[in-house]
Amino acid sequence: MYTAKPLPEVNLPPLRVVGKPLRRVDALGKTTGALVYAGDFSMPNMLHAKVFRSTQASARIRRLDVSRARALEGVVCVLTADDLPDAKLVTDMPGQTGQKQRKGSDAPVLAADRVRFAGEPIALVAAETLEQAERALELIEVEYEPLPGVFDPLEAMKPGAPVVYEPDNIVARWKIRKGDVEAGFAVADEIVENTFRVPFVDHAYLEPEAGVAWVDGRGVINIRVCTQVVEHFRSIARAVGVPHNKIHVQGTMLGGGFGGKEDITVEIFLALLAKHTRRPVKLVYTREESIQAHSKRHPFIITHRTGVKRNGRITAAEITMVSDAGAYPYLSPYVLLYATIASTGPYRVDNLKVDSVSVATNNPFTSAFRGFGAAQAAVAYEQQMDEIAKRLGLDRLEVRRVNYLKTGDRNTTGQVIRSAAWLEETATRVLEALGEKSEPPNEHVRIGQGFASYWQSYGRITWFHDTSRAWVGLELDGSAVIRCGVPDLGAGQVNSLCQITAEVLGVPLEEITIYSTDSALTPLAGTSTATRQLYMSGNAVYMAASNVRRVLLDRASKYFEEEPENLDLADGKVFVKSDPENALPLAELAGMCAADGLPLSNLALFRAPFTAKLDPENLRGDVFPDFTFGAHGVEVAVDTETGEVTLLKSVACHDVGRAINRAAVVGQIQGGSAQGIGYALMEEVQVKEGIIQTPSLSEYLIPTALDLPITQAFVLESGTGMGPFGAKGIGEPSLTPAAPAVANAVADALGVRIHSLPLTPEKVLAAVRGASEPESGEN
Amino acid sequence: MLPEFDLLQPRSLPEALEMLSAQRGGALPLAGGTNLVVDLRSGRRRPSLLVDISHLDELCAIRREGDRLVVGGGATIAQILDEPLIAEYAPSVREAARVFANPLVRNRATVGGNLVDGSPAANMPPPLLVLDAEVELSSRDGRRTMPLDDFLRGVRQTARRPDELLTAVRWAIPAPGSATAFYKVGLRKSDAIAVVAVAVLVEQDAAGVCRKARIALGSVAPRVIRAREAESALEGYPLTEERVAEAARLAAAATSPISDIRASAAYRRQVSESLVRRLLLAAREQG
Repeated sequence: MYTAKPLPEVNLPPLRVVGKPLRRVDALGKTTGALVYAGDFSMPNMLHAKVFRSTQASARIRRLDVSRARALEGVVCVLTADDLPDAKLVTDMPGQTGQKQRKGSDAPVLAADRVRFAGEPIALVAAETLEQAERALELIEVEYEPLPGVFDPLEAMKPGAPVVYEPDNIVARWKIRKGDVEAGFAVADEIVENTFRVPFVDHAYLEPEAGVAWVDGRGVINIRVCTQVVEHFRSIARAVGVPHNKIHVQGTMLGGGFGGKEDITVEIFLALLAKHTRRPVKLVYTREESIQAHSKRHPFIITHRTGVKRNGRITAAEITMVSDAGAYPYLSPYVLLYATIASTGPYRVDNLKVDSVSVATNNPFTSAFRGFGAAQAAVAYEQQMDEIAKRLGLDRLEVRRVNYLKTGDRNTTGQVIRSAAWLEETATRVLEALGEKSEPPNEHVRIGQGFASYWQSYGRITWFHDTSRAWVGLELDGSAVIRCGVPDLGAGQVNSLCQITAEVLGVPLEEITIYSTDSALTPLAGTSTATRQLYMSGNAVYMAASNVRRVLLDRASKYFEEEPENLDLADGKVFVKSDPENALPLAELAGMCAADGLPLSNLALFRAPFTAKLDPENLRGDVFPDFTFGAHGVEVAVDTETGEVTLLKSVACHDVGRAINRAAVVGQIQGGSAQGIGYALMEEVQVKEGIIQTPSLSEYLIPTALDLPITQAFVLESGTGMGPFGAKGIGEPSLTPAAPAVANAVADALGVRIHSLPLTPEKVLAAVRGASEPESGEN
Repeated sequence: MLPEFDLLQPRSLPEALEMLSAQRGGALPLAGGTNLVVDLRSGRRRPSLLVDISHLDELCAIRREGDRLVVGGGATIAQILDEPLIAEYAPSVREAARVFANPLVRNRATVGGNLVDGSPAANMPPPLLVLDAEVELSSRDGRRTMPLDDFLRGVRQTARRPDELLTAVRWAIPAPGSATAFYKVGLRKSDAIAVVAVAVLVEQDAAGVCRKARIALGSVAPRVIRAREAESALEGYPLTEERVAEAARLAAAATSPISDIRASAAYRRQVSESLVRRLLLAAREQG
């Protein structure tokens, strides 16, 4: 059995508010229903919108006739591509930079003469009632001329395959060439090769896409919408044909995003209809439309060929990756980049060759999903590590231990790991907590245990030159206000900013109000993606609050006749550290500052490290600010007669750098685990000839409470992250190791490996019976 | 979008039957609505009239009549789960209710609705078939009863006439020495449609000879089926491992599954055989 490796000594400064599992500032409004989500909002005189979508995966639109829909009573507006010449939905990096990977591959807002995937928008309807809008859809006549489609990325790369858009189906390629791969294989004692596959997955957030748009008295198009990216206002403006400053995105609290609300969803449709009708318009996707309309997680085919010494040390690795980009690129190039860089796992590989390619097909389009390619990579590299251990007859921890990256090591692209890399520390805690295998209840059941280590970047690709802004101010009554454009996905993004401000200014958490997620009225904070908001906006808020703190302490210094460093702020007071009874309420201090004309507020800008774009032919250099490290372990019971897998234990351990709200961190870990376990066991958007076969939540299954044991979460704090107080990120990392841990546990139970997710009862039974799995890629 | 329809709320069962009769063909009874409302929204069914029977208490009783149990057609799945008579005399019926959808659906869905829906994947028919349950169908013109086995016809097809309501399900409490078992394979632990469901009943005498055997399988044929050859292979013999294995093989041979998004036909057939064997052996030990 395993024993937790002792942690290095860490001396974190004591904090009063940060780290505590305090009640989140957003909790009460959500619990009582006072919070108005995007779909719950209505306005007087409001129209209801619906989207008419393609039923064909690849076809020419021969004829489109909306005249009957337009004539229907109650229908106010029907828009087609004819009404919006050249309107494009920009599908490259959202937000600040807009670096284009390929010209000409942006999706049309509405398809004109050609549809490339089933579900592609063709027309928009706005009517007095939702029922009228729905009836209008039935009256739209469209005639398709089917065109050959391509539905498999491997087929799509072959000469003569149908081309989704010119010049070919290659959406992106990245390469890594490091060390001498041939020499590395030459000195290997064993070479292990495996191919792993992962499927299309849906984000399945609680809240489908929704919003309301209206034109106000200034001619500004306001869009109240659930989005991870309020900075889309620029792309929306371009698509609608108005200046940037005439689009105002008022983001709402989200019922989950997971990357599915990182791309534009309903915004352009709403803006166009509001602009054309001059009336408020509401558009809410049903679950079925949501599944059809938003991106999916990329399916990947990943092959690892690894040379190892008998002691497990990796001497060389050759990795190929193919991802299905679907019908339009969206974020596929960057998802592929993440996968490429993460491809080895958190292991030192000095001789490395990686070739990755993302390929267009007529399948549903794919884009961001929690883990952003690095999660798919982990499913492959962690199963490969177990296969290496099996081949060498080594313990599964041992084969990882001799390869784990350490602080100061260089990673796949040669970037130096600067923060703590507590890989052995996290893995041994997980293994210790898993303990002895449970006894099987009967002879049909086999018990297995598995774990996975991982690394996942936090913060955006550093060549995007990422920034975030925040404004913090103290009111005259001693309460505080934060203004920061951060969208809150439900993960506690805004609460963390409040807890940081409470720590720095000594204002009680309940006396802080935050205004967020507004493209015009709150300083732009960038996207709530890439596990970046705590790092980026946390630092921006920390800077702004610290600047206000300096003003307060300088003024208090005069009052107390003490040096500022002898003073502190806490519990709504400023006080002398050596004599805490000698105190003054913040309200009085604020009054003194106001009387002296001192600034009680500050707007700060935080910049991530900026680097140059790397050469796609050989990625060498820094790509990410930093990485989170950790491990997940599970125990499973496998019914060998039905193939059913039951999770018995789930344990996760992550070094989060510093927890800002411990309860929120544990919530992230448990939620990420649930999503990762679903990825491993049941989630798959089945697609046949481009048509989704799992169109609703009765076919597309996600785990229920009965499928999930409570994940025991160990939260470690190295204090070495680049976020405020040494925090790292945990949003995406919490998901990444869960799926490979489950796959490894099932393989442990069965003694054979299933090379594709999800591990359905059918695949498990086939593996038990030794039947060859159709898509198995084992060599 | 819900299509337009008229909704009538009868005050009594006779009134409900009168309404259905008057509207012959165009009317549908609405009980829990857990299947029907989904079908209405999807446009799969477009009735002009719904007759809401969900509030008719006279349809909801579960009681014992002599050596028989009677479950009203309007009894909910949650009622089945809570009813001591079911727990004592029909544990497999209770088990089927336990793994039925989720608590919200169980609170609304009714036994009658689950049967008249005619789904081959319905949870309640397998355990009721092995109990030789009968269904009672009522209309304005009177009542008729028939074995559940005759009532189930095909995919979404039953013997119910449009003017009839399924008012009760009845079965004889199994003789001493009987035991039942039920198991459903779904793709998750809750709120999952059956990929394969099996119920069995065996009655053994003091010498261990099988006097009566019943095997029912769901999700492996156009309707929930009985495996009669397999049953015959057991009756009159001791339930040895070999005999049980043979019965399981015959039961699997009686299936005619399809391949769909949930599983292949081959998987369903294999698991049918494994489950029949497993459940027969489990029932043998209880008997």
